[in-house]
Amino acid sequence: MVTLQNIDFGYKKRQLLFDQLNLELEPGRIYGLLGRNGAGKTTLLKIIAGLVFHRSGESLVFGYDTRKRLPACLEDICLIPEEYQVPAITLKRYISLNAPFYQKFDHEKLAWLLSEFQLERGSKLNQLSYGQKKKFLLAFGLSTCARLLLMDEPTNGLDIPSKSQFRRVIAASLSAEQSVLISTHQVRDLEALIDPIMIIDEGKIIFNKGLQEISEALSFETLTEIRENMQPLYHEEGLGGYAAITPNIQGKQTRLDMELLFNGVIANTKGINNTFKA
Amino acid sequence: MKAHKSVNIKRLYDLIRRHILSNGKSWLIAYGAIAGSLLLITLFRGYFQPTDIGGLAGLYFAVMFVGGYIFTAGIYGELHQAQRSYQYLTLPVSTTERLLSAWFITAWMFPIIAIITMALIVFIGNLVMNLTLDVTPFAGVFSADSWGSVKVYFITQSIFLLGAAYFRGYNFLKTMLALFVIAVSLQIIAGVTGWLLFGSPAMNVEIGAHHLSQQMENLFMHTIPTVAGFIFNYLFVPFFLVTTWFTLKERQV
Repeated sequence: MVTLQNIDFGYKKRQLLFDQLNLELEPGRIYGLLGRNGAGKTTLLKIIAGLVFHRSGESLVFGYDTRKRLPACLEDICLIPEEYQVPAITLKRYISLNAPFYQKFDHEKLAWLLSEFQLERGSKLNQLSYGQKKKFLLAFGLSTCARLLLMDEPTNGLDIPSKSQFRRVIAASLSAEQSVLISTHQVRDLEALIDPIMIIDEGKIIFNKGLQEISEALSFETLTEIRENMQPLYHEEGLGGYAAITPNIQGKQTRLDMELLFNGVIANTKGINNTFKA
Repeated sequence: MKAHKSVNIKRLYDLIRRHILSNGKSWLIAYGAIAGSLLLITLFRGYFQPTDIGGLAGLYFAVMFVGGYIFTAGIYGELHQAQRSYQYLTLPVSTTERLLSAWFITAWMFPIIAIITMALIVFIGNLVMNLTLDVTPFAGVFSADSWGSVKVYFITQSIFLLGAAYFRGYNFLKTMLALFVIAVSLQIIAGVTGWLLFGSPAMNVEIGAHHLSQQMENLFMHTIPTVAGFIFNYLFVPFFLVTTWFTLKERQV
């Protein structure tokens, strides 16, 4: 579906943001893309959408070179950015102007999503709140039936009920041939949704595992103390003791803490990745 | 993979429609303001010199040129707004369609609407002034020279189309500045060439006075103007359209 091979990219001539980056996305998954500020999450989405061009390597989406921005490829990609500006037109007009470009556009789905999000077709886009605009773009994006949805911080600006509504809508409206790549800092908002988890750091994808795989290999525990013989892969001090990641030797079922996993992978990339090889 | 088509008529139509309807309101306001001002000027002229409304042709075409260039320079406005460009660039259309839709609106639709507006203004001017409707005022506006002006507009606006795609803001002013720099550079090159050939950088060198051969005289008096005319009439637009196409193709957010 998406293949990035040996991608080199940089905004400045002598400074690479991505150095030989490789990535493979498969259909039917909701990928969570995590990373520190400036790690290149948004840029990665832009490369996949053909909005910025890599210096070397290959970026293919459905077999098309993303740099060519061919209509057949773009028809199957929908990008919902974090920051956007909408034209001063009604929802109805926006739909009538943009929907014809997507051959698979599903007007029934759009009607359902608009009613779910309580959006009126007669409202002016520029007069909606930030969260409402985001919901509209999400509804429109899902209705294009694009096979690849790219979302940059989709839960930013959504109120608490809207966040669960977002998860519900995404889960309900995706088909087996569609994939979503969600770049986010708000890991807790999407814990129940994303699988696999990808972590990007220093120009490379340093972690890319499914939830099942993670649960089998790692254990997320709260420890009252860290003893020398415990040797956790990562731990951080919390209110009730220490939140720690340890190898799941005994096959325990623990609740995956994405924030802890993220911090752990950033702090001890090699150690955590080696646990999966064992 | 689906077969790729550079131009799909339905997509092109949808893109032109999207362009017009997304910007329609601001375009209509500008159109109303300019057409209204021209009508007022025409009425004043008709009141004070009722027999010569057609004499305003120069003003109409000057407005058409400047207005058309500004309009053309802003045609890719969506592309230059950081938070909207993603929408335009991820729209499932080809680069050729992005180029053709903008070219159709600025090089074909704009002059046609401008000419119809001019005719309407003259017509209304005549009606209001209670003049007899003969062909003279219209002939004044739509003389052979006027059609020549439309052709010059059609050719030269392609420079502003390139400016619209290339520059990321103040497109009209930057294109004008680029033209000024190019014009000055050409003057310098011509001056240096003249100085090297004739020992004087002046532009009005008398060829006969320098005992130039018949061949050279033919070159300067006939061949160069003919070639320049051919380039301007037939190669200018394709060159700028192709350059604009590559600019759009390479455009990133």
